Amino acid sequence: MNLEQLKKLKEKAQQQVALREGGKKYRVVVSMGTSGIAAGARDVMKTMLDEIEKRGLDDVEVRVTGEHGLEDIEPVIQIEEASGEKTTYARLDSEKAKKIVSEHLQKGRKVDNLAVGKEKKTE
Amino acid sequence: MFEELSLNILDIAMNSLAANAKKVEISVLESRKHDRLILRVRDDGRGMDAATLDRLLRSRGTTKTSRKKKIGLGLALLQQTAEMCGGHFHVRSAPGRGTTVTASMRESHIDRPPLGDLNATILTLCAANPDVEVQLNYRSDEQALRFNSQELVKGKVCV
Repeated sequence: MNLEQLKKLKEKAQQQVALREGGKKYRVVVSMGTSGIAAGARDVMKTMLDEIEKRGLDDVEVRVTGEHGLEDIEPVIQIEEASGEKTTYARLDSEKAKKIVSEHLQKGRKVDNLAVGKEKKTE
Repeated sequence: MFEELSLNILDIAMNSLAANAKKVEISVLESRKHDRLILRVRDDGRGMDAATLDRLLRSRGTTKTSRKKKIGLGLALLQQTAEMCGGHFHVRSAPGRGTTVTASMRESHIDRPPLGDLNATILTLCAANPDVEVQLNYRSDEQALRFNSQELVKGKVCV
């Protein structure tokens, strides 16, 4: 690590803070347990944060959770919509994460070929 | 085994968040001169008693009660890396007093994983729970750097 990287870190963290305000339409939850991290969850998270910031999507918040019991299909994320609808995406990498941001979070279109399980509605 | 030490740090610090920490302090000391690399994750979370800690370290137990999870590998992975690379591993904890995990290794050891993308680890932690204060202290032979997420919120960006 050097000074340049520290500056970059502060800059990025500041942008994260700026995106934190306001009501959120989407909540992205990244599974960040030991197996998720080993499978590449941090890179997926980083890509999502970068893409969300690049596209200025201020109605999305990104959080993490522990393991879901889905170790064999990590990295896993879940997108919750304000309506309560949840979509789970699995076996992700940076490329797939980019696609989910541009399709699901920006245009509101689910990426069916990356989604797993049945649609769930919570009241 | 993680490919980067910064992934071990993220993994350990996720435990701090799970333990309801208000502050997580990550220290990295990288010294070629003394051939040492020391990682420390300190939190003010709920901590553990000696029996729990013993169970975690000796029999790969876990404190997580979600699902039917019986084993935890996070600490074990870091311990293995430290001991394999000519270093030590230590956890200090007490109920209500937080937890400190320290791992040291020889900087020049051929098996020592690279530190990797420390920034991605810190940013992930900041995003994971914005209410938690995340601090990074980085020191090498040449420089000392510090990052604190709360100072950022208050708008005092000083490098």
